[in-house]
Amino acid sequence: MKMVKNMKYAFYLGCLIPARELSYEVSVRRVMPELGVELVDMKGANCCAPFSIQSVDHASWIALAARNLCLAEEMGLDVMTLCNDCYESLLMVNTLLKRSPELRDQVNQVLSEVGKEYKGKVDVKNLVDVLYGDVGVSKVKSAIKEPIDGLKVGTQPGCHLTKPKRIHFELLRGFNELDALVQATGAESVPYERKEMCCGGPLRDINDDLARQVSRQKLMALKDAEVQGVVTVCPFCFLQLDLGQLEIKRHFNEEYNLPVVHFIELLRMGMGMKLEDWEVKAHKIPITEIFKERL
Amino acid sequence: MSELDLGFMGEVANTPRGRGILLCIQCGRCSSGCPVARLTGEHNPRRLMEMIILGFKKEVIPTQLPWYCLSCFTCLDRCPQGGDVGEVTFAIRNLAARQGNIPAGVAAQAKSLYETTRVINPIRSALEKRESLGLGKITMDGLEEVQKILKRTGMEKIIQSK
Repeated sequence: MKMVKNMKYAFYLGCLIPARELSYEVSVRRVMPELGVELVDMKGANCCAPFSIQSVDHASWIALAARNLCLAEEMGLDVMTLCNDCYESLLMVNTLLKRSPELRDQVNQVLSEVGKEYKGKVDVKNLVDVLYGDVGVSKVKSAIKEPIDGLKVGTQPGCHLTKPKRIHFELLRGFNELDALVQATGAESVPYERKEMCCGGPLRDINDDLARQVSRQKLMALKDAEVQGVVTVCPFCFLQLDLGQLEIKRHFNEEYNLPVVHFIELLRMGMGMKLEDWEVKAHKIPITEIFKERL
Repeated sequence: MSELDLGFMGEVANTPRGRGILLCIQCGRCSSGCPVARLTGEHNPRRLMEMIILGFKKEVIPTQLPWYCLSCFTCLDRCPQGGDVGEVTFAIRNLAARQGNIPAGVAAQAKSLYETTRVINPIRSALEKRESLGLGKITMDGLEEVQKILKRTGMEKIIQSK
């Protein structure tokens, strides 16, 4: 007998998406219910404590991430994140706390000050986990009304969906999952060199010059593979590769003209739901040429 | 020749993310896979580990060296020892932060977190767009709790000192 999964999640939005990538948020809110996934907003959630915050203070990272996990526990729901930084932060802390009763005691002493207790009752998933593992590739495929046939894309799952192995259980698992989902829409995921390389985003605001140089390496490899566009799931990868192309143009006088879309936008178009004008314009590198009548 | 701090490795190893330093055998697989090391000679993860092992604390903590890493974690999957250079980086960044060595962009995010619960906040036009689309409000409901937590962990002091 096939088990029917209860696809209801505490929806952890993070900071970047609701501030700067509304088109990502809107597509998720429109597409996921169509696939039977119910998302419940997490009231009172704080920043996940990404790498910048972890760089300043370890104990604060653990406590801030644990506070978010406590909120999900109170809701009785597993967490679904969109941003890779949020995902890695919450997943790492959840994993560490489940493994170490000692660390759990320490964090609960801090959390007792705000009337919370981490119990280790929920799991943390990413949008790709939910689409691949819960909804399933076959159901995604059957939801496609207008296949994205013939489009060659390079996928960018992003580092923190896939590394390190000991947190994500298998080496680069997220790559295969995202590729399978992209293929289900009808588009072709083309292999390219340096696919597992970072987008450069984590050095943005720390060392902008280096961040741009890393993105540039990635874009060169994508261009060499003759892809027509890039498909991401992480808002930092999106920002770095989309807006980043304008910055690279300014600093290196090089133009790549590679449209970048979030996977959920690709899926939405495949399901026959058009993007609105403002969503199309949310992409700095125009996507009109490769998606034409779908917009 | 500068003065070496022979306790440096132990200090790093005794932090929650610094233990991997004890496992490093200086093989260099971290450097060979590092996307930043490919672009600049300033960053070399193997050498960074070596400097910690040998006690070059003054040459590491107050400098730019802790702040080149992308945290892409390529080195974590490549290290044959489980030595975790990418994790050790957080250990030395925490030590650097306590000495006031925090890049402006990171300090700004930490301050924003303390003041608003979020590292990035929507500008007015994004807030208006959210409202017109009927998206949920961006609240600061958790602010009091976040500030209590950061006071308790001591991070508030680091933020205020910047």
